[in-house]
Amino acid sequence: MNPSKFNIYQEALLNSAAFSTRRLFLKHCGMGLGAAALGQLLGSCAPATENANQGVLYDPNNPMMPRAPHFPGKAKSVIYLHMAGAPSQLEMFDYKPDLAKLDGQLCPESLLAGKRFAFIRGVPKMLGPCANFKQRGQSGAWVSDYLPHFAELADEVSFLKAVHTDQFNHAPAQLMMQTGSARLGRPSIGSWVTYGLGSENSNLPGFVVLTSGRQNRDAVKTVWGSGFLPSVYQGVQCRSAGEPVLYLQDPHGIDRDLRKASIDAINEVNRKTYEEFQDPEILSRIAQYEMAYRMQVSAPEVMNINDEPAYIQEMYGVKPGKESFANNALLARKLVEKGVRFVQLYDWGWDTHGTGADGAVDIGLINKCREIDKSMSALILDLKQRGLLDETLVVWGSEFGRTPMQENRNGLELPFKGRDHHADAFTMWMCGGGIKKGVTYGETDEIGFSPVSGRTSVFDVQATILNQLGFDHEKFTHQFQGRPFRLTDVEGEVIRAIV
Amino acid sequence: MKLSILQNSRYFLFSISLLLLLLLLANWVGLNQESVHFNSQVKPIFNKKCISCHGGVKKNGGFSTMNREEMLRPNESGKPAIVPGKPAESELMRRITAHDPEERMPYEASPLSSKEIGILRQWIKEGAIWGTHWAYVPVQPVKVPAINGFLGLFSAKGSSWANTPIDKFIYTTLKEQQLSPSPRADKATLLRRVSLDLIGMPAPDSIARAYLQDQSPRAFENLVDALLASPRFGERWASMWLDLARYADTKGYERDPGRQIWRYRDWLIRALNADMPYDQFLTEQIAGDLLPNPSDEQYLATAFHRNTSTNDEGGTDNEEFRVAAVLDRVNTTFEGVLGTTFACTQCHGHPYEDIKHEEYYRVLAYFNNTRDEDTYEDYPLLRHYPTADSVKLDSLCTWVAKVSTPQRSMEVYTFLKTLQPSIYSIAGDRFVNCELYDTKTLVMRKDASARFKQVDISGKTKLICRVKTHLDGGRWEIHQDSTNGPLVTAIDLPNTKRDWNLIELDVKAPRGIHDLYWVYQNPGIKEITQGGISFDWFYFTDAFPAEDNPEAKKYQADFWHLLNSRPQTTPIALENPAHMQRTTNVFERGNWIVKGKVVQAGVPKLLGNVPQNAPNNRLGFVQWLVDKKNPLTARTMVNRLWEQVFGMGLVETLEDLGSQGAIPTHPELLDYLAWQFMHQQQWSIKAALKQMLCTNTYQQKAEASPELYEKDPYNRYYARGPRVRLSAEQVRDQALALSGLMSTKMYGPGVMPFQPEGIWASPYGNEKWVLSEGEDRYRRAVYTYHKRTSPYPSMLTFDGTTRDVCTARRIRTNTPLQALVTLNDPVYIDAARALAKRMRYAGTDVDRQIARGYYLALKCKIAPNKQAVLEKLHEKALKKYRSNPKLADELFGTEKYQTRPAVPPWWW
Repeated sequence: MNPSKFNIYQEALLNSAAFSTRRLFLKHCGMGLGAAALGQLLGSCAPATENANQGVLYDPNNPMMPRAPHFPGKAKSVIYLHMAGAPSQLEMFDYKPDLAKLDGQLCPESLLAGKRFAFIRGVPKMLGPCANFKQRGQSGAWVSDYLPHFAELADEVSFLKAVHTDQFNHAPAQLMMQTGSARLGRPSIGSWVTYGLGSENSNLPGFVVLTSGRQNRDAVKTVWGSGFLPSVYQGVQCRSAGEPVLYLQDPHGIDRDLRKASIDAINEVNRKTYEEFQDPEILSRIAQYEMAYRMQVSAPEVMNINDEPAYIQEMYGVKPGKESFANNALLARKLVEKGVRFVQLYDWGWDTHGTGADGAVDIGLINKCREIDKSMSALILDLKQRGLLDETLVVWGSEFGRTPMQENRNGLELPFKGRDHHADAFTMWMCGGGIKKGVTYGETDEIGFSPVSGRTSVFDVQATILNQLGFDHEKFTHQFQGRPFRLTDVEGEVIRAIV
Repeated sequence: MKLSILQNSRYFLFSISLLLLLLLLANWVGLNQESVHFNSQVKPIFNKKCISCHGGVKKNGGFSTMNREEMLRPNESGKPAIVPGKPAESELMRRITAHDPEERMPYEASPLSSKEIGILRQWIKEGAIWGTHWAYVPVQPVKVPAINGFLGLFSAKGSSWANTPIDKFIYTTLKEQQLSPSPRADKATLLRRVSLDLIGMPAPDSIARAYLQDQSPRAFENLVDALLASPRFGERWASMWLDLARYADTKGYERDPGRQIWRYRDWLIRALNADMPYDQFLTEQIAGDLLPNPSDEQYLATAFHRNTSTNDEGGTDNEEFRVAAVLDRVNTTFEGVLGTTFACTQCHGHPYEDIKHEEYYRVLAYFNNTRDEDTYEDYPLLRHYPTADSVKLDSLCTWVAKVSTPQRSMEVYTFLKTLQPSIYSIAGDRFVNCELYDTKTLVMRKDASARFKQVDISGKTKLICRVKTHLDGGRWEIHQDSTNGPLVTAIDLPNTKRDWNLIELDVKAPRGIHDLYWVYQNPGIKEITQGGISFDWFYFTDAFPAEDNPEAKKYQADFWHLLNSRPQTTPIALENPAHMQRTTNVFERGNWIVKGKVVQAGVPKLLGNVPQNAPNNRLGFVQWLVDKKNPLTARTMVNRLWEQVFGMGLVETLEDLGSQGAIPTHPELLDYLAWQFMHQQQWSIKAALKQMLCTNTYQQKAEASPELYEKDPYNRYYARGPRVRLSAEQVRDQALALSGLMSTKMYGPGVMPFQPEGIWASPYGNEKWVLSEGEDRYRRAVYTYHKRTSPYPSMLTFDGTTRDVCTARRIRTNTPLQALVTLNDPVYIDAARALAKRMRYAGTDVDRQIARGYYLALKCKIAPNKQAVLEKLHEKALKKYRSNPKLADELFGTEKYQTRPAVPPWWW
């Protein structure tokens, strides 16, 4: 017996319980419209107004049920490629010929006044671009020769060249980018999205996280946590080696057949308990056991890249059995194809301070670019050839950028060419999911230090992502600690130039 | 559920008619427009319709509905919005009834209903009397409703059912809702329910058996007493408090390295087991260090507010994260202890409550003077000396008191216990050829200097510094006021061979408060970039007392022995001495860099006053917190206890009893319990719980009819017993207890039970999840090592919290991942194997074994239909394993993960 075989009465009861739960929930998150009417400072602290019922129809007994956003969104799912550690925009996208002329000269004091840096002390020297740049495609976007494959796709994406944040250390800045706050405790963007939209595939987690890169990893689980949202919305880390989802494998000595039999028995006993107690929670428990069984079948299937045709494997450059960005890029495509709502990739190892060869913008960075170039390009092409790109938003970026000055950690000259953390200006790109093609928005000054036009904030980026999915970021709130919280806090504007 | 209202149709009809009468009465009151109630009628209109533009944040047109004073003040138009007693002259009335959309309020929103307009008119007519939200009024004694006396309408059944004060409150509301209580649950159900509630796991067999055999009317009370006395009680309730305390075994943020703070968790378990009164419980946790001659336990309690995250990531601003921790302490105290939302006033005035922006920082000022500064070592630390050294410390301090003064003895004691008050090298500035490496440790290179501002050196003759060197030939000079100002002291530095050492310097009779310049030189250093000395902290003190005393030498040796020893430590709170006090500023818009006006410590006016004669520090703050006039402390706690036992608070929003929180279902009961808690139970948590449990309300059956479910899906009226899903901790503990695997070992560092490979991914550190040995694999969940960036996966799956910030309430979810944990997590496979072994003690018959297993789990007989299901499963499995013995071997034989030896069935 499965839920569809409940008698009509039971079904009605389940529905009514779910409905009352929703009603109750609505009562508690019926805030948000007021935010739109108020000024920047107050936005998310706005109290309830009369017709403010914009809360999420979330049902604790079926938390992943698909839900409609505020308005029809262009994107159904998101693949977010986060390059943790902060790649140098000055070697990849933000071409600054004038910076080359200043190479080796002392940084003007005026540039440093009032600025806080993570490691630069005193007066550092300027560091010219280490890569060769060319304008690409019809759009003429600048992409360096560090990314030869991606350069071919410049016309598919929109670049944001003047993104800024207010954090200049990895963990707080990653939290800022992914949760809208530099402090611990807020839900990540993937949690917000699955909370708001549910998931199309009930046999897979709605929010999947895939990781690659070196072992030294910042922030980790806190950047895909669900914060104050129910824990069901946290990112589920799927692994390309070992069990794809924790506790997915049957224990030794239990085969599929026995597993099915034991789940049937558990559900049968639970059903009898339900007859006694009439508690609808028992019904959803039964449904969850059945879903767990199905997930045990579907997750390994979708996580298996070996069955992909050779030309696809070649296109991404996958390394079966290993953890790699290429594998994760291919998995991301497979997951959104199966209806997973939000796929978040983290690739670590981009922190190029120049303290070693790995962290040199003219050595290590080239290798890191090589690791992602082919596979992220393949991802875009593959989504496109399957007709998925229009409904899948691909976001590429990091937590901040890097300085046009060469890092002089502890006031000393470092052995390799490196750049310090820079919060004021860095590059991101987006593609698919209703994003315009071939747009370059935002510009930095001659040396790439400060934005001069089209300056966008972390909150603007988040607002734009939510917008593509059909959410008004100012109305998308959750009541917590007595006030409605937003991903975008009290700020953020949709970047109209690229949508 | 045949206690239906229809059976008592006579009463039903009668009470309906009575209700109608009452309704009419109410309406009549309404028609006569007598006495509008501010809190229930007027304030909700303001909150819903006005406050977003005319509240604590925005005051459009100079008009605010925040409090009476602001409301009556002339606004920008020059006239007041409200003239008490005169609705016709009140601008507010004109504006809410205006026809011109440019004039009519609420602006650009639907107009007020005529009923709402009527309420406001009447309210102004009656003098615009202001009222305070119920939760901000001190708790008053509440009269228990009389069940018999009410016109004799209720059945005799009702009066016998409602035989405790709680039952009387509940019964009264049930009747209002036309509901009837459910019969009492059977003993097995009650046993399981109350055991899980009080000790978080099934009762040990001795307690269970005693209860099941106890035929006396006091049987249930005896059971409650036995469970309250069990050491398991403290472990279960500690789990709840640890969520509020955001306790973790790591520091958080990027590197998230380990932190030794488990002794706080142990303190908590001891305090709860000892039933420490809640006022003392709070006092010691928030201000234990400020009590006279604090004991180790009182110092330990203050680790409560040292559970804040600290940030070791290189390049981070230490002051920024010190401030973040202090803000967190304020927010945690308000959310967890006071059940009110305060964090919003960090950026601006409270949008709904009459709390001002500045008042947040007045509270912050109480917390802003502790010695922690986001140092790498998490200073200040309490040093836990082994017994022999503790004895040495005691006799040393006794001796100092004898030969010198008690004050000096206290200084020595405090310094040896905490190494305080010292100044950390991260406080330095004006660095010349030196730098804070990793932004945590000051490293001085060739010809380096650094400044430390405003150090009080009055009368000091000794300076103790913690340093690390690996070179010979280094020299330190410390100058007053500038690098070549008067010399305070100098030393030829020893080579400590890359080990941290304490060095002592003689100080030349300086006076006053000065900027001090540390100057480092070492002619042996060739490269200007080469580091010479790492410097951690310094401490100015007096010469060792009574140096000519014959015993002085011995005690001085003890002093240095203790100082140089490296005992285990725990981060604690410790107040800055008078000369190191920080001033507290308002942060403009909550931004810590933009400092506004200076504020003095104080509590929000809305929440009463600090008791007279209370000191002006954290101790004074906590005296206000536990003052019986404080409106929130007791209400918040009894509401929390109620939620733990009944599944939902009397006010559902445990974190917010304010005017935007949920409306209490039983406001009088809440106040009754709060009053009892403070005045009758003397803040005893155990007594408060016992009072809730020893009621017919709690002991009802949880079964419900479809009608009752429809009427009251969340059991807000308690017409049935509580039926609450287990917490993450309870899920684990129950499995371990039933299978007989559980270790009842208490206390100690966090343990590492089985966890899949590759969960931890901490940068930089070498910390690894190393599977604990022996019984430590089977400890209760409360002892599981909690890493903030990688919490124990199955705990998170069952809605455990990450403990990054205070979590006042867990939200329960129901997901397939939970099923995967109990189906496949080796911990549960292990428990299942062990349970199977216990079941075999029932004999060789399968049906008896199954019945035994069910009884072990639920302490009751299995129903035949469930027995049949399980027998069928067994049959199927048996057939499978007989035909495929290899599969059976895999399940029972070759696991690398071995079970503990089976325990005999009488063990539990």
